[in-house]
Amino acid sequence: MATNNDSLLRTAATAGLTRLNEAHLAQLKRAMESARELADKLPTDLHYSEEIAVTFRLPAAGGSKP
Amino acid sequence: MTDLAFLGIADAADLIRARKLSPVEYVAALLDRAGRLDSRYHAFIRLTPELALAEARQAEKEIAGGNWRGPLHGIPTGLKDIIDCTGVPTTAHSKVLAENVAAQDAMVTQRLKSAGAIMMGKLATHEFAIGGPSFDLPWPPAVNPWGGNHFPGGSSSGSGVALAAGMLPAALGTDTGGSVRNPASMCGITGMKPTYGRVSRRGVLPLAYSLDHVGPMTRTVRDNALLLQALAGHDPDDPGSADVPVPQYAADLERGVKGLKLGLVRHFYAEDMQAHPEQVEAIDRAAAVLRGLGAEVREIRLAPLQDYATCTRIIIRCEAFAIHRRWLAERPEDYGNLARQRILDGAAVSAADYIDAQRLRGRLTRRTLETFAGLDAALTASSLDPACRIDDADACARLYPRQARQPFNVTGQPAIAIPAGFTQDGLPLSLQLIGHPWQEAMLYRIARAYERATGWTERHPFDVFPS
Repeated sequence: MATNNDSLLRTAATAGLTRLNEAHLAQLKRAMESARELADKLPTDLHYSEEIAVTFRLPAAGGSKP
Repeated sequence: MTDLAFLGIADAADLIRARKLSPVEYVAALLDRAGRLDSRYHAFIRLTPELALAEARQAEKEIAGGNWRGPLHGIPTGLKDIIDCTGVPTTAHSKVLAENVAAQDAMVTQRLKSAGAIMMGKLATHEFAIGGPSFDLPWPPAVNPWGGNHFPGGSSSGSGVALAAGMLPAALGTDTGGSVRNPASMCGITGMKPTYGRVSRRGVLPLAYSLDHVGPMTRTVRDNALLLQALAGHDPDDPGSADVPVPQYAADLERGVKGLKLGLVRHFYAEDMQAHPEQVEAIDRAAAVLRGLGAEVREIRLAPLQDYATCTRIIIRCEAFAIHRRWLAERPEDYGNLARQRILDGAAVSAADYIDAQRLRGRLTRRTLETFAGLDAALTASSLDPACRIDDADACARLYPRQARQPFNVTGQPAIAIPAGFTQDGLPLSLQLIGHPWQEAMLYRIARAYERATGWTERHPFDVFPS
């Protein structure tokens, strides 16, 4: 059975964080708890029609920069 | 010397233009003052005396030759140390970037140099504009000149301290969740977060791309308008920059507020969170002053403060982690404890939650702007408390979320923090004014009317707390 520390190490590795020491892992644990609390505060009625869709934009015809 | 220490941009510009004040003498006097005071207040990461004096000599020569460039010509200025200045390290107050020498100027640095401003040095920040106040970094945190040993706010902490202590008349800060307005509030100075897209962020180390703003910090309202005038404008190399005409920010400063319609967002500081009683009184008194000057002030309701906070915190965490992931993977021990925690917080947020936070942002922005319809501007608190002691980590941590600034990073509206009195212990209290997008000039007009009526910006810490 995986220990809490194994689980934290897996989470860290998934995020590319393979050099965290014990103190850093304790911070990651607090981060995970805090993230859950924050996510619980998001409204539950957000709909995909409210997508902001401003993350990518092609340049206008003749434009030089994206 | 005292006169030069607390001389503002507008007054100094008049003297410099009339050749009654030499930029070289002005710069030398402020360098001397910073040299004497900064071992106690730690506003500067790095002074750049050679660069400053060379630029001051050049300014003096140009002005003597009849080539006065405008009100910033010969004015000493400092940059928060996440803003690039060619040949000078941009450290972000972090060991991670201690040797990071900037190869070119940020757009705002270019604009200041073009206006003839003098680069005095790089100013303390919370590490990477997120982790502070911290005592485990290569440089100590800046300390508020108001009070014995108090927190100056952040993350543009050095900018606030240098202004309040009379080391500079002008500084730049950045504001992602309130980091211009927080030190403005704690240090008793004036800080503007302009409309999102108004001032270029190119060459400024990001904290969270979609919420970052660069803003002018000064002691007075007029000076702030003059500084924003030099900074504002479209930059096609900042994807968030907007191509919107730039007005004359100081043109309507003395028009007063008679007939203006102002919303008072009282629930932020009296219901959603309960502000310190002296701060509540200060805002209520400010509303009364503005009414007395002829404005119509009525209470309005926006979404609860906590909704904006949730939205901001998720976005900052995710975007900051995306920026720092590789450094954090390679050198986690080189971050201070607070910044590492706040950046690691983003490792644990899901992509779906980030997208939902952006959806929430759109919803909050629409509803906020709908409520602003029919108003000229609104007022509310900036900080909910006066400064705490900087060596009280628990008090600093409690203070961190107790603010009403984040809503306007979410909506991108311009917002200015100005002094609104003092506690019985002599610590600054503040007021925040919020405008329609691109209407910074309206905020300056209201802020100037309030400043003229109250005189709060004429008080300096050394009148109260001798250095």
